[in-house]
Amino acid sequence: MMNTDISKPDEHGWVELNMGPQHPSTHGVLRLKVKLDGEIIKEVEPVIGYLHRNAEKICELDYYCDSLIYFDRMDYVGAMNMEVGFLEAAEKLLGIPPPERAEWIRVVMAELSRIASHLVWAGAFGLDLGMLTPFFYCFVEREKILRIFTEVCGTRQETNYMSIGGVYQDFNDKIVHDILEFTEQFPKKLEDIFSAYVKNDIFISRTKGIGILEPEVALNYGVTGPMLRASGVEYDVRKAEPYLVYDKLNFDIPVSYKKDNLARFLVRFEEMRQSIKIINQAVKKISDGPYFNPKAKKSLMIRLRGEGEVYARTESSKGEFGVYLVGDGGVKPYRLRVRSPSLKNLSILPYLAKDVMIADMVAISGTIDLVFGEVDR
Amino acid sequence: MNVLLRLAQFFAPLTHYPAYILAYLFETLFLIIFVMVSLVAMIYLFRKYMARLQLRIGPNRVGKFGTLQLIADSLKLVGKESILPAGRDDLPYRIAPIIVFLGLVLSFALLPYGQFFYIGSLTVTNSDVSLLLLFAALAIMPIGEILAGFSSRNKYAVVGALRGVAKDVSFEIPMMISVLALVMMASAKTANPLNLTNLVEVQFIPYGIPQIIGLGVFFIAMVARASYSPFDMSESDSELVSGHSIEYTGMRFGMFYMGLFGSIFLSSLIVSLLYLGGYNGPFSGYAGFVYLLIKAVILVLISFTIWLSVPRIRIDKFVNMGWKYLLPASIINLIIAGILTLGVGI
Repeated sequence: MMNTDISKPDEHGWVELNMGPQHPSTHGVLRLKVKLDGEIIKEVEPVIGYLHRNAEKICELDYYCDSLIYFDRMDYVGAMNMEVGFLEAAEKLLGIPPPERAEWIRVVMAELSRIASHLVWAGAFGLDLGMLTPFFYCFVEREKILRIFTEVCGTRQETNYMSIGGVYQDFNDKIVHDILEFTEQFPKKLEDIFSAYVKNDIFISRTKGIGILEPEVALNYGVTGPMLRASGVEYDVRKAEPYLVYDKLNFDIPVSYKKDNLARFLVRFEEMRQSIKIINQAVKKISDGPYFNPKAKKSLMIRLRGEGEVYARTESSKGEFGVYLVGDGGVKPYRLRVRSPSLKNLSILPYLAKDVMIADMVAISGTIDLVFGEVDR
Repeated sequence: MNVLLRLAQFFAPLTHYPAYILAYLFETLFLIIFVMVSLVAMIYLFRKYMARLQLRIGPNRVGKFGTLQLIADSLKLVGKESILPAGRDDLPYRIAPIIVFLGLVLSFALLPYGQFFYIGSLTVTNSDVSLLLLFAALAIMPIGEILAGFSSRNKYAVVGALRGVAKDVSFEIPMMISVLALVMMASAKTANPLNLTNLVEVQFIPYGIPQIIGLGVFFIAMVARASYSPFDMSESDSELVSGHSIEYTGMRFGMFYMGLFGSIFLSSLIVSLLYLGGYNGPFSGYAGFVYLLIKAVILVLISFTIWLSVPRIRIDKFVNMGWKYLLPASIINLIIAGILTLGVGI
């Protein structure tokens, strides 16, 4: 007989506990239905959809150029990566490639955004484990990136900076100077934050050997991004299928073979170091020329028509971000579908958080790096 | 001469018993005022210190430098609706916060505070078994927290209370064994080492120096008792939202909050009394209380730094630590104390 009264234990003696959607460690509006045997978690069932805004359908009702702002609001902590992902697909469909200068600018902004996203993650992961202070050090550094974004496009978080055929505004000397200033001082601050975590024995005991994710399982579940690379699979869209100008840049893909929470932590921090390397190269290599394709100038933008179907994938800060676009020759997309990495990564949680303690489940869900704007769309 | 006698003298025109009753009432009032003032100061200090550590400014809007922020906050708490959860166990739910606050004030009442200029001794009770009474009073607060956890009909609260019980069992025994070592050492110098005043005054060398292991064990136990990071498993905000106090609102919640901060100050006072020489120092006949306060505030700041910079330990690892490391360490400390007392004669 089914047990309907959740205030009482079920036939195994397990108690059902509902974590979220309003819970401090669920990073937004994740709801976890947890079966508890004392402190041990027997089953986890993530329930999603509390931030569903129907973004894909709304994009189908809008002109191609208008869809961009909905992508900003998907992964709102790394908005530039979302814009790159959408534009890769839209420009391919509409046949309006951006000039090379715009591609360099996009790489710089996407990598800055990746650092900002990882910093938010690092701070929030500290909060999950009960460390209050490093969160603020992370956010101070993120704030510097957001200032650069404000300088470039006037907005902090949902930037709406790139557009079909290029970027909204050109880089000037002040922006380049600001970016170089940031990349010069950031590595030292990053090491400070890094040591605040890894030089702490309790942190190591809370992360090492916990949440082991085998590479075969990760591949079967469709896990991508830092989670997959921490399991020892060297897969990064920036190397596997370079977009923009990533093939002209020299950087490494950090991989760890330890597969646990600590490995995911280390991979994300190493990615930040690599992003700094990319930004330093890209800022120096930015070529002169137009930053906007004249075929997509503002008066013509809403008349852009696309036909056919494209799928573009990019590496966002969470993993492989895919956009599938179908055009029927009209000014609006016929179908738009997003493959969001956070959703695929979340699907691993019931597997990882089985027979662990409550505290470990919180730590594991922290390492997944969930952003609910993107999971629910 | 202590405050009680002075007050009794003040009321001397009255007959003997009413004078003492009035004196006790006033003394209780003073004690509660002292606890309240120290709580306000502690919470203000905490918020400012936390802000400095986290590159923020902290409260700076209400009053000069935000000093009145806490009063505004507590007025807000008093004014809030006290929501009672359905299906609660009514009596334990209502008395739990009171037990927590009562245990706090009672523990403050049993400490010796030393001399303070012309006021004289600030010590409230000078019982011959005040050490035992103190640890009995310290054991009251966890009872309130456990009652709160089990009576508020919330699964988070129950898990928090379970963790609280597991935690209490693991640290209380090492804590008492380290105190036993202190009593053993003091018994060589004084006839009644169970009197806290005697225990403080025989500390020619602060006992934290010969009993450095005991100091470590006792401090860890005190952190666990006050239950802040890294040992705040019973109210861990990222796992159990706020553990046993999850269903409490308004001033009932405020009592748990005061219990937390009061515990930190209380722990610092106890550690400085038992291990750091308490109010001993040059001219302690006049300024003893000042020495005690300075030591306690330094310990409070150390506690805050620990609180804000380390992650939370997992409950099973803490229980493990209590039985496998703290207990043997406290026994080793007891043996060292025995050797020092009998062999060396400190």
